[in-house]
Amino acid sequence: MDQDMRNMRNIGISAHIDAGKTTLTERILYYTQRIHAVHEVKGKDGVGATMDSMELERERGITISSAATYCRWKGHRINIIDTPGHVDFTIEVERALRVLDGSVLVLCAVGGVQSQSFTVDRQMTRYKVPRLAFINKCDRAGANPYRVVDQLRQRLNHNAVLMQIPVGLEADFSGVIDLVSMKAVSFQGLYGEKVVIDDIPPHSLAEANAKREELLEAASMFSDELMEAIFEDRVTEELIDGAIRKGTLVRQLTPVFIGSAYKNVGVQALLDGVTKYLPSPPEVENVALDLDHESGRVILSPDPALPLVALAFKLEVTPYGQLTYLRVYQGSLRKGDDIYNTRNRKKIKVGRLVRMHANEMEDIQEAAAGDILAIFGVDCFSGDTFTDGRVNYAMTSMLVPDPVVSLAVKPRDTKAGGQMAKALGRFVKEDPTFRTFVDPESGETIISGMGELHLEIYVERMKREFEAEVETGMPQVAYREAISQRAEFNYTHKKQTGGAGQYGRVSGFMEPSETEAFEFVNQIKGGVIPTEYIPALEKGFHSCLEKGLLLEYPVLGMKVTINDGNYHPVDSSELAFRQAAVGAFRQAYLNAKPVILEPIMKVSVECPSDFQGNVMGSISQRRGMIVSSAEDGVFTTIDAEVPLSEMFGYATTLRSLTQGKAEFTMEFSRYARVPDSMAEDFKKKHADKKKGGKK
Amino acid sequence: MIMEFTQRSPLRILLGSPEKGLGPGNLGALIARAGVGKTACLIHIAFDKILQNGKIVHVSLQDGPDKISSYYNVILAELVKALGLKEERETRTLMEKNRMILAYLNQSFDLRRLRENLKNLSEKTAFRAGTLIVDGLDFAKAGPETFEAFKTLAKEYEAEIWFSVLSHRHIAEVNERGIPYPCHEVDHFFSVIVQLQPATAGIQMKLLKDHGRPLKDEDTVILDPGTFLAVAL
Repeated sequence: MDQDMRNMRNIGISAHIDAGKTTLTERILYYTQRIHAVHEVKGKDGVGATMDSMELERERGITISSAATYCRWKGHRINIIDTPGHVDFTIEVERALRVLDGSVLVLCAVGGVQSQSFTVDRQMTRYKVPRLAFINKCDRAGANPYRVVDQLRQRLNHNAVLMQIPVGLEADFSGVIDLVSMKAVSFQGLYGEKVVIDDIPPHSLAEANAKREELLEAASMFSDELMEAIFEDRVTEELIDGAIRKGTLVRQLTPVFIGSAYKNVGVQALLDGVTKYLPSPPEVENVALDLDHESGRVILSPDPALPLVALAFKLEVTPYGQLTYLRVYQGSLRKGDDIYNTRNRKKIKVGRLVRMHANEMEDIQEAAAGDILAIFGVDCFSGDTFTDGRVNYAMTSMLVPDPVVSLAVKPRDTKAGGQMAKALGRFVKEDPTFRTFVDPESGETIISGMGELHLEIYVERMKREFEAEVETGMPQVAYREAISQRAEFNYTHKKQTGGAGQYGRVSGFMEPSETEAFEFVNQIKGGVIPTEYIPALEKGFHSCLEKGLLLEYPVLGMKVTINDGNYHPVDSSELAFRQAAVGAFRQAYLNAKPVILEPIMKVSVECPSDFQGNVMGSISQRRGMIVSSAEDGVFTTIDAEVPLSEMFGYATTLRSLTQGKAEFTMEFSRYARVPDSMAEDFKKKHADKKKGGKK
Repeated sequence: MIMEFTQRSPLRILLGSPEKGLGPGNLGALIARAGVGKTACLIHIAFDKILQNGKIVHVSLQDGPDKISSYYNVILAELVKALGLKEERETRTLMEKNRMILAYLNQSFDLRRLRENLKNLSEKTAFRAGTLIVDGLDFAKAGPETFEAFKTLAKEYEAEIWFSVLSHRHIAEVNERGIPYPCHEVDHFFSVIVQLQPATAGIQMKLLKDHGRPLKDEDTVILDPGTFLAVAL
């Protein structure tokens, strides 16, 4: 096994949808001889690109799940994670970035920096991932890589520098001029597998020289040696490469490659760039939390001899059981080893260790720090950390956004019910942004996730993979009731039905409490109600909170004070006082002027600053209150408070308002009174419903 | 609460002013060295407006919204305590309704963006502020054209704009009108200039300019360093 970690690269390929990243990955696998035929994403041969492993993805022509794959290029081992481009699946991108050391940002030479480029790039910045850019589709009509480089600089704030210039463009695009070696490179053979190096055509020389000057100027900022060499006219390829690598690793320089994966141009040169400029595992600092020492930060060392620390970053169901993708950060892992899941301290024996190539796999005996691999038959969640038991570390938890959209799902029949439960259990393990629960109020199964498409895909997967036919509906917002003023009660519960009677009198008052909790204050003096009956009174009042008398929503924030009462030595009982409390609640509740409350969400929208007005308008239209707006370069973050009931469909609205360039997070903030007009509507609907029920 | 507060608000220094305050379309400056309490004092000015149901935009050029927001919360809690107020919840609601924070991080501030943001607020959310608090503008670098533009903005929105101005111990430059660095070359743009200085009795708030009226010795207010409420009138 090649143990030279310096020759290892863990890279991701990220882009907005349709930039061609799947085709690019396919070509990389072809040139690195991992596959021996080329298919297209929407291939006429009906096979589909190798990285699109799921049937659904093939059908829709988009990549949903990231698949890890492994290849070798000129003595380097490269693990590639193909990542999805749609904003609804960004957890896949985020996970990929968490385990990667470097990334390739694929941009379309025609479309340029657009839609998810913003999101994906920001995610890469968040995880401090050094990147290269690849401007794809230079063969398309309207292709202009120079414009895309300008956009990278202006719109994404990258110090982008062209490593190549095109030979021809659009239909005439035939190769590139390498500005480091100052040679023309063309790609010949059926699939461009033969790289031919020539002198620069005379008509391109002046442009090549000018662009090389720009490259040298940018690179020399990271190397005094290169700067001196430029002055002394003794620049070498090694000096340029060294300076560019330095700038890339500190994320202050983005080398830009150009090509057309579909037309088989420029992919090998990009692979050279990956090996030359992106970091190897030892060059990236990874941190774990030491759970034995108050979760202190520990810097991991990619030393195979040290205790094992590995992160499960992706799960997949296969016909052979659960496949768990792992990134080893420290130590090594052998077939037959015992490893421990930090979350539950469960010991697991490593049965089969495989290196993945999309849906195909290669058995291996051992994996060391820096490697990405998969293991079989391990029951765990995505995001779990594994060790060999010598340390109790957890990898810094991955940033998992909270779900923003919920949907009620109902199985069509009993069989589907069982299958649906199985499917949901699986999805929850696979995808931390996908959640499910049974609403205790409506009894419906609610699924929630990052967007409507995200949930739609899961509903389809239930159908296809688990044969669970489900119906979907709109979820219900969890409304509440609360009283708005103080009201007195004085209630006697008296019942004489033969035998022992029931008697209990309680008086006092109810008022709104400062918190959302229920408060019970006992001011009974002189034993007018014996102490033994007080808990029954409290329980009685508490039980009434489950269903308010206004619209039958649960009641929040009530303080009940009891200060007088009466009892009977024979007829009083716990039951009698409990009933007295229920009666007292009914007596006073409507006098306390109950109001309807709705959940208010704290919403944070990140968008390019140009869209600030649109976003503010969309929040305002949703009865939202904007709290603040913070600009940071080209991006603006708008914080607001918006009623949950107004947020359904917001992901879609936001996407269309901002050309898909904005993203938002949402979390529960508090309950607030619904506007009077809405409350009246609710009351009317409730009354109609009750009337209908009685008929 | 409004009555109790306005009687002890730092803005009572302008009670003798012909306009009884800074006034719409005008610029005001609050000069102090680092750590004396410019931001706290500006937030008190903001509260003075908020409690009278006026809308304010707090423009921060250094700190993010979270920090500014918690600053307001701390000051509100102090006010409630110091003035013995019972309507904290209502006051908080009033504050949230009438205050907007616009932050420009990492030197991203430019007037064109501010103008655009104010326009968006006004047109898209019907939030039209009568007061702007601009905290963190570097007066040493901002030229006359910046203040000219702010003046135009103030007139256009019929708003008053208060600035925090950082002065330095080692630069004692003062112009012939008694206005210190770094306001000394742009003081003609400002209708009101106030200086904050630590004093033995608390923090001294001294009027250096008030709409051109001649100033008197009593144009000074001593503020409690803990609450920034006026202690000596």
